[in-house]
Amino acid sequence: MSIFDLALFMAFASIYVPEFSIQAVVRAEPALRQRAIALIEGCPPLERVVARNEAAARMGLDLGMTKSQAAQFPSLEIRPRSRIEEQSTHAALLDLGWSVSPRVEDTAIDSIVVDLAGLACLFGSEEAIAHLLAKRASDLGLIVQIAVSGNLEVALHAARGFAGITVIPPGEESKRLAALPIQVFWPPAEILETLERWGVRTCEALAKLPLLQLSERLGQQGVQLHQWARGASARSMILAEPTLGFEEEMALEDAVEELESLAFLLGRLLDQLCARLTARSLGACALRLRFCLDASSDGESVPSPNRNACLNEKKSYEKILTLPVPMRDSKMLLKLLRLHLQSDPPSAPIVHIVLAADPAPPRVTQEGLFLPSAPDPEKLELTIARLANVVGNSHVGSPRLIDSYRPDAFDMNRFLSPHDAPRIHQKGIRPKIIGVGNREPVVAFRVFRPAPRATVTLREGRPVHISFPTMHGEVAAASGPWRTSGEWWREDAWHREEWDVEIRRPSISNTNAIENSPSTEPQKGLYRIYYDLMRQAWFVAGMYD
Amino acid sequence: MYTELHARSAFSFLEGASIPEELAGACAEREMGAMALLDRDGVYGAPRFHLTAKKLSLKAHIGAEVTSSAGWRYPLLVKSRAGYQNLCRLITHMKLHAKKGQGQIAAEDLAGRAAGLICLTGGEEGPLTHALMQGGITQATQSVRQLCDLFGRENVYIELQRHFCREEEARNQAAREIARKLSLPLVATNAVCHALPHQREVLDVFTCIRHHRNLNTAGRLLARNSERHLKSPAEMERLFSDLPEAIANTQVLSSRLQFTLKDLGYQFPKYPVPEGQSEMQFLRERTHEGMIAHYGSRDDASNGRACKQIEGELALIEKLDLSGYFLIVWDIVRFCREHNILVQGRGSAANSAVCYALGITAVDPIGMDLLFERFLSEERGEWPDIDLDLPSGDQRERAIQYVYDRYGKLGAAMTANVITFRGRSAAREIGKALSIEPETLNRLAALVGAWEYKDANDTMARQFNDAGLDARHPLIRNFFDLCVLVQDLPRHLGQHSGGMVVCQGQLDSIVPLEPATMPGRVVVQWDKEDCTDMGIVKVDLLGLGMMAVLEDSLKIIKQDYGEEIDLGRLPANDHVVYDTLQKADTVGMFQIESRAQMACLPRLRPTCFYDIVVQVAIIRPGPIVGKMVHPYLKRRQKRELPNCLHPSLEPVLARTLGVPLFQEQLLRMAMIAAGFTGGEAEELRRAFGFKRSEARMKEVEVKLRRGMERNHIDSETQEKIVQSIVSFALYGFPESHAASFALLAYASAYLKCHYLPAFTAALLNNQPMGFYHPATIVKDAQRHGLKVTPIDVTRSDWPCKLEKNGQDFALRLGMRYVKGLREEAAQEIVRQRGLRPLDSIDSLKLRVPSLQKSELTALAEIGALNFIEPPCGLSPAEPMNRRKARSHRREALWQVERAARSEGPLLREYGELGFNPESLSDALWPGASSPLLPMTAEERLVADFRGTGMTVGPHPMAYHRRELQKEGIRSATELHSLPDGTSVRIAGSVIARQRPGTAKGFVFLSLEDETGIANAIITPQLFERDHVVVVHHQFLVIEGTLQNQENVVSVKAQSVRPLNITRAETTSHDFH
Repeated sequence: MSIFDLALFMAFASIYVPEFSIQAVVRAEPALRQRAIALIEGCPPLERVVARNEAAARMGLDLGMTKSQAAQFPSLEIRPRSRIEEQSTHAALLDLGWSVSPRVEDTAIDSIVVDLAGLACLFGSEEAIAHLLAKRASDLGLIVQIAVSGNLEVALHAARGFAGITVIPPGEESKRLAALPIQVFWPPAEILETLERWGVRTCEALAKLPLLQLSERLGQQGVQLHQWARGASARSMILAEPTLGFEEEMALEDAVEELESLAFLLGRLLDQLCARLTARSLGACALRLRFCLDASSDGESVPSPNRNACLNEKKSYEKILTLPVPMRDSKMLLKLLRLHLQSDPPSAPIVHIVLAADPAPPRVTQEGLFLPSAPDPEKLELTIARLANVVGNSHVGSPRLIDSYRPDAFDMNRFLSPHDAPRIHQKGIRPKIIGVGNREPVVAFRVFRPAPRATVTLREGRPVHISFPTMHGEVAAASGPWRTSGEWWREDAWHREEWDVEIRRPSISNTNAIENSPSTEPQKGLYRIYYDLMRQAWFVAGMYD
Repeated sequence: MYTELHARSAFSFLEGASIPEELAGACAEREMGAMALLDRDGVYGAPRFHLTAKKLSLKAHIGAEVTSSAGWRYPLLVKSRAGYQNLCRLITHMKLHAKKGQGQIAAEDLAGRAAGLICLTGGEEGPLTHALMQGGITQATQSVRQLCDLFGRENVYIELQRHFCREEEARNQAAREIARKLSLPLVATNAVCHALPHQREVLDVFTCIRHHRNLNTAGRLLARNSERHLKSPAEMERLFSDLPEAIANTQVLSSRLQFTLKDLGYQFPKYPVPEGQSEMQFLRERTHEGMIAHYGSRDDASNGRACKQIEGELALIEKLDLSGYFLIVWDIVRFCREHNILVQGRGSAANSAVCYALGITAVDPIGMDLLFERFLSEERGEWPDIDLDLPSGDQRERAIQYVYDRYGKLGAAMTANVITFRGRSAAREIGKALSIEPETLNRLAALVGAWEYKDANDTMARQFNDAGLDARHPLIRNFFDLCVLVQDLPRHLGQHSGGMVVCQGQLDSIVPLEPATMPGRVVVQWDKEDCTDMGIVKVDLLGLGMMAVLEDSLKIIKQDYGEEIDLGRLPANDHVVYDTLQKADTVGMFQIESRAQMACLPRLRPTCFYDIVVQVAIIRPGPIVGKMVHPYLKRRQKRELPNCLHPSLEPVLARTLGVPLFQEQLLRMAMIAAGFTGGEAEELRRAFGFKRSEARMKEVEVKLRRGMERNHIDSETQEKIVQSIVSFALYGFPESHAASFALLAYASAYLKCHYLPAFTAALLNNQPMGFYHPATIVKDAQRHGLKVTPIDVTRSDWPCKLEKNGQDFALRLGMRYVKGLREEAAQEIVRQRGLRPLDSIDSLKLRVPSLQKSELTALAEIGALNFIEPPCGLSPAEPMNRRKARSHRREALWQVERAARSEGPLLREYGELGFNPESLSDALWPGASSPLLPMTAEERLVADFRGTGMTVGPHPMAYHRRELQKEGIRSATELHSLPDGTSVRIAGSVIARQRPGTAKGFVFLSLEDETGIANAIITPQLFERDHVVVVHHQFLVIEGTLQNQENVVSVKAQSVRPLNITRAETTSHDFH
């Protein structure tokens, strides 16, 4: 057969990564390859084994065991399951396909199909291409199963069922699939159960069933399974978009310490990213910044030039910048990144940068003609970022009361655009009428954050004298104690006794207080003080205006 | 001096965190002379509160917080008996007019029911706060005025509470203003919800459970602080130092509350007797009639003893005015007899010759020399306790409904069963409150049901570790602490299985009544013990599975054998029965089928009825803990001489060879050795019984020793007697009870030996019950020669039944054993089959359209559709082909898959036009047989166990016997012929695992193979080493040393390993 003939021949190669989750982890940590490995997932302390390799299974490790149980196997390596590594491995798998052909199907996270038509001129026979793919997979740190067939489905199922490289010549599909278990088709659980009950466990047994009667029983799903089992199903490829992940990275020869230098590099990366986004008519709804830090800066180790190894080392820095609307203005994005890095700088010099954008369709809005003009969301985001840079991230947003007796309990919500606002419901907040009737409050209470410490003298359990930075004096009247305690099941339980006190300064002014001008010092005031039983100290909660 | 007048206990169900006893104890500790218990919508905890208070010399005020339809709760205190009766009626009215667990009262409901009650204005949930929130002080004043109108001005108190909370203090200011304006007294309370501050955590968890939240989401539903505990008078006085009158008024109010539960006013109903006769005369006549029937005429010389005993009992019954009670029980028994419901009195009633004569019990107390005082004595001042055993199920329900009909809805009710936080369900609820994710919670909950025996290393940390959880984690620690704290706290009210109380007149004025979940039933708010403690007479109508088995057996025998059997006239000394018992061949027999009983039977070798009585009583914790089993068996085998401790005790202990086995013996020992009266002896038993208290035991022991001293018993013998009483009283079994059970044991043994098919069918139809799974019962019956045929829709009914098999009977398994098949669907199959035969799977589906696909599949998979006849009218060759092709399970499964799919619109229209859908189905019959291969034997086995939990085919072990033999594995029967001490290897499916608390950590396994059951003993060390294998694997190979002594065979294991021979999911009864 001439090379020309080969090029005309239709063939698909399916690449399947067995034990995908495990391989994703091993790829980042090749030293694990020969070891028994278990992956765990869940909330500590209740993580359980979700994947294990053959060696671990031989040791008697079962899926579903808890971390503590798994830890009893002495030579077992336990790692958390990494969805990120899985995504990255999947991207690498797609890269593997695209490295030989632009026509690649993204079938599943652990499977792809590559159209080999026309590649013979470039790479030789199908088998040669399969070997090439296997070699390249190995270079990527993956052990794969590859099957080549003129029928896409056959290639796909054979790759799941046979180890190594399998080339199925035309006309032999049914024969070669015969011994495979029907699980390679991933049938729905109900059908699998029925087939199991029928004693139909292999493709051969399934293929032998009369089609008409099978369709009466299992419907179209049954017919499809039957066709798959006979290797008679044909379908077109669903081509994967060449890139949907927008990620740029840069390995640095010399570690970067200064923000200005870093901003320059980030600007370059952002320009590239934004250009790619623009070409696809997309914007970024989030930026993911990941730095590999120079571990040697505190004498731990020499930085690894390998990206995966580097990013898996403990010293890395990650930041996710969520944007209120999809953006692709690189200058604006750079400003935002700079502000965030200023407020939360990395702890060591940077040796590797990975910058990724989460793509989203750009904002298309038409504001009402008669609506008051709101600030431009991009600019507003910049302003908020500047504020956060000054006051800290956790101090910007809109406060939300928490349904709790914990004093001063609130959290900060991110500001939302006016379009989102009507959808907000504060679930769980139970408005509770306090006090008698619906009386309007007659005094306001000004909360001191943080509450200053106070020195309090007690007589018969009641405060009689108090001193704190802005006030000191005798307690003219005290009401209390008001006791609150709660969240005893948490580490940060609270327990305090509050007093409402009227404090009068002594008549002879002792102006050693912190205030600069004695004339501005209050002579008396109503304050709320409390004794924190957990910290064993007095504090001033605030004052009544 | 302060008195707490507003306290909730855990009987407020999820709104209180301490039981009444704890509150009363805390009250006594704080030197408070009285306290009032106000539980939500009931007086559930009142008896326990009253009794504890009595012991602690406290005054227990009764009351309740009653929910109003306006959303608040009236805190009501009972002033007088009239007030108590009003409160009970009020709550009954509210409960019976609403769904279970709900109910509220409107202000109109209080009209005419407020007398004798005092109303407080309450705290956060009271009427005053509610009105303040709604309309400020004006509405609050108005609301208090309304309370004054309802309860009377002098019966309303303005309640002040101080829990260190600003809002509450603001309310207090308003309350004081209202009190001043209306000239009403103030009273301080602490609205107690728990005895100790730290129990607030339990209260928080309860709040979460009540509101279906978890601690992280409950927010301000939880307590603001821990101030709702019981505070000392000094603390309260300090707290209300600015309002001394509020404290002083607690005393004043307390002194006005004169009512206690001592003043209940309960009367037992009168039995309607013919005019001119007293109840006693009527009872005397019925008793004499019975006496003549049982013992012969009055003139008969042999009747002398019985006559004397009966006269003595009747005199006491007359003296204690109990004739009505006996007549009421007799009436129930008479109703059962008239309606062919098996009934038998159990418990101490069997000590009474009057009960025997009236037909209430079946054990002759004269013949067996039973002690009447165990049943009734003058000193005790309690109602006697008569328990009636009835067949479980519908028959028992008929008897219960009879009592309701006879005494009216407000005259009879079931006693409550207080469901408490226990075990796994409690763990689950707490876990949810702590937001523990479900899968982990399953693991944690599984730990709670740990094995009964705990060894020294069995710490909590280790158990958690074994389950793969870190006990040091704060979440796990909190979980464990809370589980311990909530243990045994009331969760909600259930219904006792059979306890009924009756009352002369209105029971709802004695205790509030509530609707039960079961329609047509009402329950009282007190449980069985509380009713007894409050002097309310109760009759237990208990359902006993074996009674139902016996009843069903008799029916089957009458129907299939054409024989009538009277259980009261079974041959007394049937040698087949005793031979069987001696061989411990007792699977399915009442009370004597367990592994421990089987291990004892060959040693005890029963030869007469009394031996069965002993056998029933000896394998109990009492004799085992008291180390009395071995001495008895040795003496029985004449390897040791009987020793009756003291010559004077010979008449008492001689028949049990000097070993005290029964409670009656203990009583008699005290009577003879220490000169106790019957009542005093019963008092002694109670002092050492379950509710033992150190002080009471000491007191009774001193009295016992003093009595023995008087009778010149030397100190060494005294010590032995005291020891035997002390160690035994806790678990002792009444002889009368053992005798009643022995009668049932003998009857079950007789039926099994002589009517095996009928007995097995009845046993299988009344599962679950007893020690063994149905799979074991079937295998045992097959080994005894019974042919058991599989489930077949063309023959099987819902229950198992007998079919003629030549001269004998075969047992046809019923469709009740098809997992996932609904009874109504099965009954419809039977009905349709009765109309005309089922001729195809399609016609089965068409004629029983309610059959779901899963049900058809289940039937096909177990082979129940294999025998459906082919449709008529086809060529002779074709049906034969089909028959042949369809005679396996996969053929049926193949057909079912098509038949179960709903037809499309075209065929549906075809049917609607009037065509016979069956003929349509036949017309569309594809004509080809199934392409599927028949199931292999292993597949059939798997399907059988998955679909029915058993197999009627060979035992899974039988398929592998040859290979097992090659491995040197012995069968269960082989072991009997091997000498003691032989090293053996056995294997089988585990049918029971036990780790009894009395066995020092040893685990007992029963392994079944095709020849029988072999027993293995696992040492604590081996269990420790191979815990997972022993607990989790269903088929095991055990190597060890054979112990073959006195026909009791077991293997002391040295190693244990799993045996992988089948995927069939067999099950075992595990006793943890």
